[in-house]
Amino acid sequence: MTERMLLLGNEAMAHGLVEAGCSVVASYPGTPASEILSGVAQWQARYRLPMHVEWAVNEKVALEIAYAASQAGLRAATAMKQVGLNVASDPFMSAAYLGVKGGFLVISADDPGPHSSQTEQDSRLMAMSAKVPVLDPDSPEQALELVKTGFELSEAFQVPVMLRPTTRVCHANQDILPGPVAPSERKALFEKNPARWAATPNFRHRLHLELEEKLARIAAWEPTAPRLFNPAATAPRAIVAAGVAAAHAREVLRDLGLQDTLPLWQVVQPYPLHSGFITDILEKYDDILVLEETAGIMELQLADRYRVKGKCSGFVPVVGELSSEKIAGIIAAFAGIPAEEPPVPPAGGGRRPTLCPGCPHRASFYAIKRAAPKGIYPSDIGCYTLGTNLGGVDTVLCMGAAVSQAAGFYQAYRLGGEVPDIVATIGDSTFFHAGIPPLIDAVVQDARFVLVILDNATTAMTGNQPTPALGWGAGGVPTATVDMEGIVKACGVKFCKTGRPGDLPAFTSLVKEAVAFARTEGLAVVIARQPCVVDRTFKGERPPRRKVGISNDCNSCRYCVDQFECPALVYDEERKRVVIDTLICTDCGVCIDVCPRMAIEEVGQ
Amino acid sequence: MSDTVTNILLVGVGGQGILLASEILSEAFMQAGFDVKKSEIHGMSQRGGSVVSHVRYGKEVHSPIVPEGEGDILFGFEIMETYRSLPLLKNGASVVANDLCIQPPSVLLGQETYPTDLPEKIAALFPKFLLVDGQGLAAEAGNVRAANTVLLGAVSKRLDIADECWIKALEKMVPRKALEVNLKAFQLGRSL
Repeated sequence: MTERMLLLGNEAMAHGLVEAGCSVVASYPGTPASEILSGVAQWQARYRLPMHVEWAVNEKVALEIAYAASQAGLRAATAMKQVGLNVASDPFMSAAYLGVKGGFLVISADDPGPHSSQTEQDSRLMAMSAKVPVLDPDSPEQALELVKTGFELSEAFQVPVMLRPTTRVCHANQDILPGPVAPSERKALFEKNPARWAATPNFRHRLHLELEEKLARIAAWEPTAPRLFNPAATAPRAIVAAGVAAAHAREVLRDLGLQDTLPLWQVVQPYPLHSGFITDILEKYDDILVLEETAGIMELQLADRYRVKGKCSGFVPVVGELSSEKIAGIIAAFAGIPAEEPPVPPAGGGRRPTLCPGCPHRASFYAIKRAAPKGIYPSDIGCYTLGTNLGGVDTVLCMGAAVSQAAGFYQAYRLGGEVPDIVATIGDSTFFHAGIPPLIDAVVQDARFVLVILDNATTAMTGNQPTPALGWGAGGVPTATVDMEGIVKACGVKFCKTGRPGDLPAFTSLVKEAVAFARTEGLAVVIARQPCVVDRTFKGERPPRRKVGISNDCNSCRYCVDQFECPALVYDEERKRVVIDTLICTDCGVCIDVCPRMAIEEVGQ
Repeated sequence: MSDTVTNILLVGVGGQGILLASEILSEAFMQAGFDVKKSEIHGMSQRGGSVVSHVRYGKEVHSPIVPEGEGDILFGFEIMETYRSLPLLKNGASVVANDLCIQPPSVLLGQETYPTDLPEKIAALFPKFLLVDGQGLAAEAGNVRAANTVLLGAVSKRLDIADECWIKALEKMVPRKALEVNLKAFQLGRSL
């Protein structure tokens, strides 16, 4: 590999993993982290590396698989988004005490904004809570370097290391010259040591002491020490920045002409912050500005915050992404120079995302609303969250919560005597990820509701990664499969039927049948099975195409546009009637059964 | 090579192929020997929401995002999104936009109307505005789906990058079977 390449941050980190001789990588997809594992699979194939690379069923499983490889002496990594780390926090916290053998990297990608997440939480705070050192890259290139540094740090101190990129690192592209790749020579060798690997609370006390000692030494480790960007600058005040905020700050200093006067320290290891650095800057500077996303982690570690301006002090906004124009305003205020007026925000209404034309979820939600018009509709994390536009989604909490929330609503209403219809929706990947334990719970507690598993044979929102039911894994390699119906039945569900939502009349009848069953008998599961329209990895047979047209029976009632909300159904203001946008219509033909006047009809090809 | 960083914004609706177009641009800048950074948001917005891609090149680029009010060139895939993004530009910036309206859900649902005077408004604010019949020229090149490449050609004319860098980038990023049509579409755009 000798030529410069334009790499996505996630692909760059993936290259760092193979450069570092990482042998096992496991992940669950989630924006903005999804392309890390697919990147690893891509490099693994290109360099023909002996590695185990897998899409795990969820983040907890992914972390545990990678951690065990580290316990056996191999270099290993796991990648996830920040809310995925919540799911994996149990093994993460425990592994910090036990330590590692082979280098172990936990990549947790944050999403300040948030752009595509439930929260703006800061994974570095999780690292602090777990007492795990964390590295904070400012660019794809630095992220690649810090992957390698992270493994060195991990092995030097036998501790898990977190790499925390943000959306602007993961989904930025940069021209990079990647380093050489060589296959790892290591073989797995697990050395038994129950006092460490199976530590009971007594031993844990000692391990905690060891961890504190490690952290104290890590806070003086030279390779991750803060770097002064502009050594010539000698003002009595200074900026301390980490991550993308540091990249923005470098540019803002140049634009404001402060490059030669205002010192900018870049921190790549925000926790533990180097202890010598803390003492030095508090002695040296009268005034310190801390720029970081999204919480004040570095700021919290500055013992004397009397002269420190940051998130905790209220000088830097705590909500939202730190854009470069925000940072420009903050640095100008800190340096006491006039700031430019912020530009006027764009006018006009927004353009909200919507389910794709031909998406099978649209038909599912339409059927659910027909079958249980006054129902409560708990839902989950995935493309189908966009069912809110159709009025088919009432709650979205976190992965798998649709099932437990449906059970919770049932139990809460049952206390009052009258239970409404409850129809929950969950995607296939999300069902495997976190939907099975709550399904068992609902069966055991006799919670009566309908669960519709929206099985589009992919993890769609994050870019069409496989699910455990498909028979292929990362990089397209063959895997074994599990049977969704079999799992549902094994959980004790008595009603489990499968239908194709695109066959709207039959599917609506099926959901009605399930609703009737739930009213009188118990929990009912409907599997809505139809492939995702944008999934290019789908190899099976697609439903028949039905090209549609609008007949003269259209009386412009707008029912289809308002109730079915397909982007290909367009109301033409001039002609006062609905027309089909043939450029985006997928010929799914579902709208034929939506029009109350039967004015949408199948036409010849 | 001067210190200036050139800021390009690509805006449109999720699913229009903005990510690929920004990759081709970045590839061409890399071919020309520049430091390149590019940034956009993946995930939910790709399902028909507003999409903005930032591409920056120069001798040394630190930040991957174009600060508001600093854009040099706006590459619009859709008229309303082009108009919506004007505050990202500096005065005197160039705007190249496809003559295409995609109605957002609020318009489809009759809650709002799609304004019809946007090209005039854009031209009044940014005299260096070029409205391109992307679909029409793409059809002329052989495939209506090559509209983005027509636009890319028109944008390329406003950038000081050698012909061969563009050709190399297209050859690298466009599937072989679509290359001929795309090269033709690119030249049609470049002649505007």
